[in-house]
Amino acid sequence: MNLTRIAEIFTGKARPGVSGTDYSQRTKRLVAVFFVVLLVMGLLQAFTPGPFRHFFVDFVLTQSLILGIAASSLIFLSAYGGMISLAQVLMYGMCGFVVGNSVTTLGSKGLKLGLNPWVGVVIGVVVTTFVGFVLGVISSRSSGLYYLMITLSFGVIGTYFFGQVTQLSGFGGVNQVRPPGYIGEPDSATNPERMFYTTLVVAVIVYLLLRYVSRTPFGLTLQGVRDDPVRMNSLGYNVAMHRVWAFTLSAFVASLAGVLYVWEWRSISPTTINLFGIIDLLVIAVIGGILMLEGAWLGAFVFVALENYVRDVLLLNNWIGEDRFRTLVGAVVLVLVLACPDGLVGLRRIRFAIPMSIVGGVVWGTAGGVVIGSGGAISGIIVGAVAGIGFAGLLNLVKEFDWANSMAGSLGKYRLKVSAPRTD
Amino acid sequence: MKLFGKKTVWLKVLTASLVMSLVAAACAAQTETADQALQIANSANSAAAAAQAAADAAAAEARSVQAGAAEMQAAIDVAQAAAILAQSTAEDNEAAVAEAQADLDAANSALADATVAAEKAQMEASAATEEAAAAQERAQAAEMEAEEAAQRAEDAEARAAEAERTAAGTQEIKLAILSDCEGAFGAFHEQDIAGVATAFAEYAGATITNRSKPTDGFTGASVAGVPINLVGIGCADDTAEAAIRETRNLMENLGADIMIGPLSGDESIAVANYAKDHLNQTFINGTAGAQDTTLTVRAPNFFRFNGDGAQWNAGLGDIAKNTLGWETAAVIGDDYSFAWTSMAGFIAEFCAAGGDVISRVFPPLNETNYSGFVEQLPDPDEVDGYFWAVGGAGLIPALKAFEDAKGPVDGSQHIGNLFWGTPGQFEQLGGRVDGAYVGGFGIAGDLKTANANRHMEIITRHFDEIPFGGNPAPASDAHGSGFFLNYHNAAWGLIQALEAVNGDLSNNHEKLRIELSQVVLDGAFGEIRLDENRQAIQDQFVQRIYTDDEGNLAIRTVAFIPAVDQTFGGTFDGDPTPSRDYPACEERDIDWIGNARTVVDGIIQ
Amino acid sequence: MTDVKLDEGAREPSGRPGLTGRASSHYRRIRTMGWRQLVPRLLLAAVLIFIAVWILFVTEVSSAQAAINEPGRFLRSILDSITNASLYFIVASGFTLIFGLMRTVQMAHGSMFLLAGYIALTFQRERLDINQGISPEQVSASNWLLPLIFAVLIVSGLGLVIQQVFLRWNAGQDLRQAIITIAISIIMADQMTANFGGVAKDITWPREIHGFIETENFRYATHRFFIIGVALGVGGLLWLLLNKTRTGMVIRAGVDDTPMVQALGINVHKVFAVSFALGSALAALGGVIGGSHASLAPSVDAEWLLHSLVVVIIGGLGSLRGAAAGSLLYGLAKSFAPAYLPASLTNYSIIATFAVLAIVLALRPYGMFGRAE
Repeated sequence: MNLTRIAEIFTGKARPGVSGTDYSQRTKRLVAVFFVVLLVMGLLQAFTPGPFRHFFVDFVLTQSLILGIAASSLIFLSAYGGMISLAQVLMYGMCGFVVGNSVTTLGSKGLKLGLNPWVGVVIGVVVTTFVGFVLGVISSRSSGLYYLMITLSFGVIGTYFFGQVTQLSGFGGVNQVRPPGYIGEPDSATNPERMFYTTLVVAVIVYLLLRYVSRTPFGLTLQGVRDDPVRMNSLGYNVAMHRVWAFTLSAFVASLAGVLYVWEWRSISPTTINLFGIIDLLVIAVIGGILMLEGAWLGAFVFVALENYVRDVLLLNNWIGEDRFRTLVGAVVLVLVLACPDGLVGLRRIRFAIPMSIVGGVVWGTAGGVVIGSGGAISGIIVGAVAGIGFAGLLNLVKEFDWANSMAGSLGKYRLKVSAPRTD
Repeated sequence: MKLFGKKTVWLKVLTASLVMSLVAAACAAQTETADQALQIANSANSAAAAAQAAADAAAAEARSVQAGAAEMQAAIDVAQAAAILAQSTAEDNEAAVAEAQADLDAANSALADATVAAEKAQMEASAATEEAAAAQERAQAAEMEAEEAAQRAEDAEARAAEAERTAAGTQEIKLAILSDCEGAFGAFHEQDIAGVATAFAEYAGATITNRSKPTDGFTGASVAGVPINLVGIGCADDTAEAAIRETRNLMENLGADIMIGPLSGDESIAVANYAKDHLNQTFINGTAGAQDTTLTVRAPNFFRFNGDGAQWNAGLGDIAKNTLGWETAAVIGDDYSFAWTSMAGFIAEFCAAGGDVISRVFPPLNETNYSGFVEQLPDPDEVDGYFWAVGGAGLIPALKAFEDAKGPVDGSQHIGNLFWGTPGQFEQLGGRVDGAYVGGFGIAGDLKTANANRHMEIITRHFDEIPFGGNPAPASDAHGSGFFLNYHNAAWGLIQALEAVNGDLSNNHEKLRIELSQVVLDGAFGEIRLDENRQAIQDQFVQRIYTDDEGNLAIRTVAFIPAVDQTFGGTFDGDPTPSRDYPACEERDIDWIGNARTVVDGIIQ
Repeated sequence: MTDVKLDEGAREPSGRPGLTGRASSHYRRIRTMGWRQLVPRLLLAAVLIFIAVWILFVTEVSSAQAAINEPGRFLRSILDSITNASLYFIVASGFTLIFGLMRTVQMAHGSMFLLAGYIALTFQRERLDINQGISPEQVSASNWLLPLIFAVLIVSGLGLVIQQVFLRWNAGQDLRQAIITIAISIIMADQMTANFGGVAKDITWPREIHGFIETENFRYATHRFFIIGVALGVGGLLWLLLNKTRTGMVIRAGVDDTPMVQALGINVHKVFAVSFALGSALAALGGVIGGSHASLAPSVDAEWLLHSLVVVIIGGLGSLRGAAAGSLLYGLAKSFAPAYLPASLTNYSIIATFAVLAIVLALRPYGMFGRAE
């Protein structure tokens, strides 16, 4: 693969004939630009003093990229293979545990093997990919919601496995996992942005890899399997094996996220991969857009920003205080899911959504900044933007809704015209 | 995105340099004043010293004169005695009477002479004393002057120190609190914050924002002239992941220097590990009680002013073996670090006293179907008693499953850890736990000591209400709450240390760390000091549940064990840490066994 | 998803040749099953026999001892399984009803459970004016039943509102509906912590139900029998509803082919609304009984969502029989694993519980009574 080809893929010019989505090139290019903007932002931050720097880059951006990688493995399976897998959280968690057990030495739970960090990475990725293959074989016979359920049960079993097997972890988890020196110093206060760059590079590679795979014969067959497994079977393709290999690939990608996660957090515990963790990743994929890889990072960024910045929201903080911020997280997710049927990557197709979100964010953010301070400003921007999207959705709903029919009780036209009718 | 734009960079640099130069100028000016003041103070001091010396000399003189007078008086006494002796002798020999009479007369005249002399001496002495008093007065005046001067000098010094801090960039200390507002301990969120808030209101001049809602925070706190700003209250859910996420938000986003928290076992292990990687910040545990946190992780900047789960249970094993007469016991507890630590305390002491633990059962955390786990326990006729370290959502279902399978829970056959003794929680357990002994939390709500009363006063002075579990509750309810107490002590210890270092956080909080590890708290329920792992050595109490006159469950303190340390009388050394099968059951020597002091009606006997 | 009907064709190559002519019917069955199905079944049978032998005779090393030596414990374990299975069934039947008809994965089902419990708890304590653990002697039947009815009504009403406001116009979009209910469950969980507190509390059984049956070697709680009775009643009523009433027929038809039912001029959406309210009511009933049987606290909602999911995964999505069978199997595993595993393995009992799930799914990807979509 030469550089021109990479560039083509990156900018979306090498569009394959078969695709599950009907998005314009522009959306894809926009998301590619998103990566570049992140990179530039990270570079700028490295030379900018101020308290905002560390947290935003070292945690919010880095964590978004990591969760984005994990979510992209979920979206890859869903968009190209038609399989919604909830085992991705288990996959990245498992890799985290393996790396943790391999590299820690003292003062932690687990095996404390004290291996070289890079050896730990190799073991982690190999073990996880292999387990992914096995789980892929077990689940390859189901599809649709059953696939979702089976992979969910894998995830839950994994949580309890690491919770109960105290030789490997226990409910408290593994601590003091240190990244290799190139990526993070023992004292994480020095050179924290290295972790961000590493993550960014891995994220870009994963994105390119998954896009590339979706254009290989294997990827195209996989999309065929997604659309009509029976026909693909009669054409002589091994449907089950395609699913298994797709799942194995996604496990590999998720394991990369696991390595980065455990380096970034320096610890991992079964609570990271419990039912809530599984649900969080699903929410990320869906609010980002489950049909496009790019949605993974978009959704992850929104979700992580939400969890960390939405605290003091002007007008709402009498009703929802700082300690009730999860209510706001739930409300924002609800609005986004209701207003953007195709996730944030499909935002452009909803009339007025983008301008309204900008207006909402600016107004609420400014007001919050004036009244509360910087925290209020950031919370205001997020909540205002989401409110704008919600309002746009509501406007469209009111406009497009078939009121007469609805009143008459003849149903079936309950659908926003802004979103294309869906077959699933 | 503008926030990171090029323009802002330059603006920031410009503003920063402007501020820096202003600060430097102010600092220089301040330093000069301070020097002057110091000089004045010194000279005043020396004058005062001279005056004092003169006064001393005068007083000494006066004293010597007085002594002379006393000697004279003594001579008179001797003479008188001689006269009396003579008289008595004369009683036998009348012939000698006249002679004796003459002698007596002579003595009397001598006496008169002596008296005159003595009077004269006395007059002299009183004059000297007067003189001395005058000298003393002068000396006092001088001393006062000197004190004033010293005060001025001190003020100047403080200003200088502040200027210095300003120059170093610490105009204020940013404080964060991490507590749980979700999960099994979410109900105690307001109590936790109230604990910190009352400490700052009481000892650092803070103003409580809302006397009925602690989470609204406080303002205006300052220690040694350095303002302390509450930048954020973290909201975790008793999982390690959420604790780290919130800690990072508080420390890295909101830029806190010092954090008080977290609340529960696994959280604290994760946070202590985080602390190890962030030596430029200081962490003071909220109320978490896992042993690993301080005994194994040993982060140099993580301090804990409360006992761990094992320390809290000091005295229980002794009571089980020697008061209740258990020979064997079964233990059941959640399968995680805090419950392991809590059980370790009971097992170590019970076995040390000669008991035997015949069954250990570990249901997973937050299980609510306990029938299978209760089945693992021996029946009541196969074992003398049960120790419970189940908490959270699980305790009630576990007790019910026990009742359903093995018969009624008899208080004297069961001992619980602190989850049986925390106000707000044990009331929910129902009458079945009446009569059970329960482990402590470093707290004895019914203790009648001056410090305990003072604790109550402090709470009610600063709060009217401290909500509990979503409902309003009178502030006085927090008096018996270990959650409130431990967060309060953490904040109090911090304030004491900050006072000692004048709010100096320079050089990675070096001075503060040294001071923090030397803090001694004259706490509400006994003295608290830290060991070399920065872990509290704390007095512990054993409590017992009873039904009060109105038929409600209540709790009273029954035993007191002073100064329990984390090694638990030499049992633990941090490797291995408590786990499902550690500690093993073996006889040991723990010195408080048999020496616990009983507590009757809130008075330590 | 359109890719669902692959399996029957794709999985199995044509039957093995030979042995056709004079094969007995038994033999023919084995042949048509094929080795790939036979081997797992034999293995399963072997495993089941091993477990049975283990429990009955061998378990000297487990804490509960072998069943023939300790029949009381064995009986109690069996009854515990059935009790827990009953509770799982009450909750999961609501879940499976909603799923079967509307293809909605109701992720807020656990929240409905917990909310109903809290409502009943608050109501009961208001009536008795006690705010601490209550003993059953203080509770009369009405002080338990009225809170139950109240909670069921409120929660089924809430379910109806959720369905009408959020789910109705997203019909057919499984994943989106799941995320909507997830968002609702996040909000509900947070608000319940705020309003009902984080301390575990329990609803108290009325004195009429609470009690024990005791013989020399055996003791069991009557309120546990009551739970079994309620589950049987719920199962029976649901069966009657689905099989003997017009609404039930429409529901069953809707499960099979919604567009066809609609084409027949039946207002499916009314049926959807009724089913959703009914499903929520079952969660609420389970919540009140579960709150009396165990306790109410934050995280209980997630746990019951998990129970429901596991039960329907084992039993098969959308099948009432599946919910019953799944509950029973799950209940058995949950009670027997901690008690009858060797003592050295007893701390891994939850893993063993979920191993049951894995075995079922390996053999039947669509659950015991599930059908391929």
